[in-house]
Amino acid sequence: MKTNRMPRVISDRFLQLLTVLSAALAVVVLTSLFVYIFSHGLSLINADLLRSDYWSLSKIVALDETRNQPGSYPRPENLGAEVAWSEKWGVGFVDHLSHEKKQLVLIEAVAENSPLASAVDTSSGANQGKPVAMSAGLQVEKIDFTDASGTADFTGMLASARAAEVAETLDQSAAKLTSMFIKTPGGGIRGSLVSTAYLILVSLLIALPIGIASAVYLSEMAKKNKVNAAIRTGIETLTGVPSIVYGLMGVSVLFPITAAMGAKTTNILLGALTMAIILLPTIIRSTEEALRVVPQGLRDASLSLGASQTQTIFKITLPCAMPGILSGILLSIGRVVGESAALIYTMGTFINDQPGLLKQGTSLAVHIWSVMSGEQPNFELACAISIIILIFVLILNLTVKLLSRRLQKSFR
Amino acid sequence: MESNLKARIRPGQARRKQRTDRTVRAVFFLAALISGSCIVLITLFILMKGIQPFLPGYAYGSVSLKDFLLGTLWRQDQGVYGVGFIVINTLISAFGALLLAFPIAVLTALFIVKIAPKPVKPLMKTVVELLASIPSVVYGVFAAGVITSLVKGLASLAGVSTAGGSSLLAVILLLAIMIFPTITSLAVTAIEAVDPDLELGSLALGASATQTHFKVVLASAKSGIFAGAILGLGRAFGEATAVAMVAGNKLFGPTFNLFDITRTLTSTMLAGLKETTGLDYDIRFSVGLLLMVVILLSNLSLNWVKKKVGNGQ
Repeated sequence: MKTNRMPRVISDRFLQLLTVLSAALAVVVLTSLFVYIFSHGLSLINADLLRSDYWSLSKIVALDETRNQPGSYPRPENLGAEVAWSEKWGVGFVDHLSHEKKQLVLIEAVAENSPLASAVDTSSGANQGKPVAMSAGLQVEKIDFTDASGTADFTGMLASARAAEVAETLDQSAAKLTSMFIKTPGGGIRGSLVSTAYLILVSLLIALPIGIASAVYLSEMAKKNKVNAAIRTGIETLTGVPSIVYGLMGVSVLFPITAAMGAKTTNILLGALTMAIILLPTIIRSTEEALRVVPQGLRDASLSLGASQTQTIFKITLPCAMPGILSGILLSIGRVVGESAALIYTMGTFINDQPGLLKQGTSLAVHIWSVMSGEQPNFELACAISIIILIFVLILNLTVKLLSRRLQKSFR
Repeated sequence: MESNLKARIRPGQARRKQRTDRTVRAVFFLAALISGSCIVLITLFILMKGIQPFLPGYAYGSVSLKDFLLGTLWRQDQGVYGVGFIVINTLISAFGALLLAFPIAVLTALFIVKIAPKPVKPLMKTVVELLASIPSVVYGVFAAGVITSLVKGLASLAGVSTAGGSSLLAVILLLAIMIFPTITSLAVTAIEAVDPDLELGSLALGASATQTHFKVVLASAKSGIFAGAILGLGRAFGEATAVAMVAGNKLFGPTFNLFDITRTLTSTMLAGLKETTGLDYDIRFSVGLLLMVVILLSNLSLNWVKKKVGNGQ
C-alpha cells in the first residue's frame, strides 16, 4: 500500500494545481482587459468628451467692417496665467493638447465689446450671414489679417503658432482682420449618449408592459395546456437567437412600422423596437423569478378578503415582486448599453450629433464599432467609451445583486 | 341590521369584478402570445428574405443555391457569393474556442465549488460574473488591441507572418474568453447540485478528495456541464462585432492556418454594410438563415451526444 501512495499524492497535487491555474488564468484575462482598457482610455475621460460633438464644424467668419480695427481692451482679471491675451483685439488664446495628441490653439475668452464679438459666418450653407458666437473652446485654425502697410499675413494653427505667438502677432502687426478660419471641437460622444438614452427609454417603454404582462400571465394565470407550453417554448427559444439575427429581423419586420411614421433610413426608433424584442425574455424571466418568491399565502389572503384576481395582482403580487422586476429593468438597461450587432443593422453606423427618434444615430457601443472599423481605428476613443460602458454595466450588476438579496431577505 | 348587510353585498359589484378579471386575463394572454410568437415571426421573415435570391424571378439576378452553399469564393465587388468555406471557418473557430475554453472552464468551476478556500470562493464567482457582463464590443476592442499583438508575438516566434495579428487564432482566443463565463457558471451550478452522499461514498471507499472531485463529482455533473458547453457554442457561433474586429475578412478559403486571416458567417454579415437594397444586402439574410441552421444543427447533434454520454437527466 505504501508504495502506491506517493504517485497518488503527486497526481492529486498535479490535478489540484491545474484547477488553480485555470482559475488564475481567468483572473489574469480579466485584469489584463481592465488594465488595457483603462490605461488607453483614461486620459480622454473628462467633461469635454461627454459634452462635445463628434464631428468638428469648420467655419470661416468675417468681422463687422465698422468695428474691424484694433482698440484697447484690458485683460480680464479672472483669466488664468496660461491665457495669452491680445490687448488690441480683446481676445485670449490657450494651448491645448487634443484627444489625438495634436497641439491646438483655442479661444479662451472674448471681451464683450471686442471686434471679434461681431463675427459673421461667411462659409456657404444655411448659416451664411448669421452671427457666430466666439465661445471658448473654438479652434483657431487661421487668422488672416493685413498690417498697417496693407500687406496680408496670417497666423494661427496653420502657421504652427502657439497661443502666445498668435496673441503677440495680432497685437504687433494686425491692423485689420480679413477673415478667420475656426473649427468647433470634435471627438466627443454627446450625440451617442443622447441616442443611448433614447434607446433605453423607448425600448423599456415597449418591452416592460408586454414583458411583465406575459410573465404575470405565464406564472399566475396560465393553465397547463399546449398553447401555454408553446408560448413558453417560444420565449425560451428567443434567448438563444444571436443578436445579429435580431438585427436582420428588425430591418425586415419592423422597418415598415417606422417607415409608416416617416423614417427614410435606419433609425433610432427601429433600434429601440428591435431592442424591445431582445429584452422580452430577460424581463419575462426576471419577473417570473420574482413572482415565484412571493409567498402563496399573500395571494390567498388577498383573495379570501374578497379582492378579485386583478386587484390581487396589481395591489399585492406585483408590488411584492418589485425588487425582482427592478433588477430585470437594470439588466435590460445593461443589455441595451452593451448591444452592438443588432443595432448596427437597425440604426446604422453614422455618428449623429443631432440624434432624433426617426434619424440615424449610434449608441455608445455602436460608436465604438464606428471608430474601430474605419481605416484608422481610434483605440483611445474606443477605450474611453469602453470605460464608460464598463463602469455603467458594473454599477448596474452590483445593484442587481443587492436588489435580489433584498427580495430574498424580505420573504424569509 | 338587515339593511346594513344589504348595503354591503352588491351582486353587481361582484359581476363587475369578474368582468374586469376576464378582460385583464385576455389582455395579459395577448401580451404573452405576442412574446411567444416573436420567434415565429423572426424565423418566418428571415426564411422568406433568405431564400429570395435563389428563387426564379428575383429582382437583382438570381444566385444558384448550389454555388452559394458549396462556393469557396466571396467577392461582393464581383457579385460572387460562395458561402461554403465560411461555414467551415465558422465551425473551426467556434469548436476551436470550445476546445480551448471547455477544460479551463470546468477546472475553474471545480476550483470555485470544491477546492477554493472560503474567502476566495465569492471572489472567483465575481470574476466570472464580471467576465460575463462585459459587452462584446468591449471584448472586441480588447482583442484588437491585446490579442492581436499576442498573436503577432507568437507568429514572430514561430517565424510565420500574420496580417497585423488579425487571424484565426485571434478569433479562437477571443471566442474562448467570451464563452468561458457561460460554461463556467453552468458548470458551477451543475457541480453544486451533485449529491453529497455520492462524494461521501467515494471517500469512504478510500478515494482521495481530489480523486473524488475528478472521478465522481465531474462524472455526475457531466450532463449540466455539457449543457453549458452547448450554450457556449451557441454564443461562439452568434458572436458578431467582436469577431468582425479581428477576423480579417478573407475572400476565399477555408482557412486552416492558425495565423492566416479568416471570415465567419457573422463577420460576413457585418462587412461592408452600406446599402439597404440589392443583392448584396439580401444575401446577408441568406447568410443569417444559414447561421441559424448551423446553430440549430450543432445544437441538435450536441444534444444527441449529450444524451449518449449523459446520465439520463
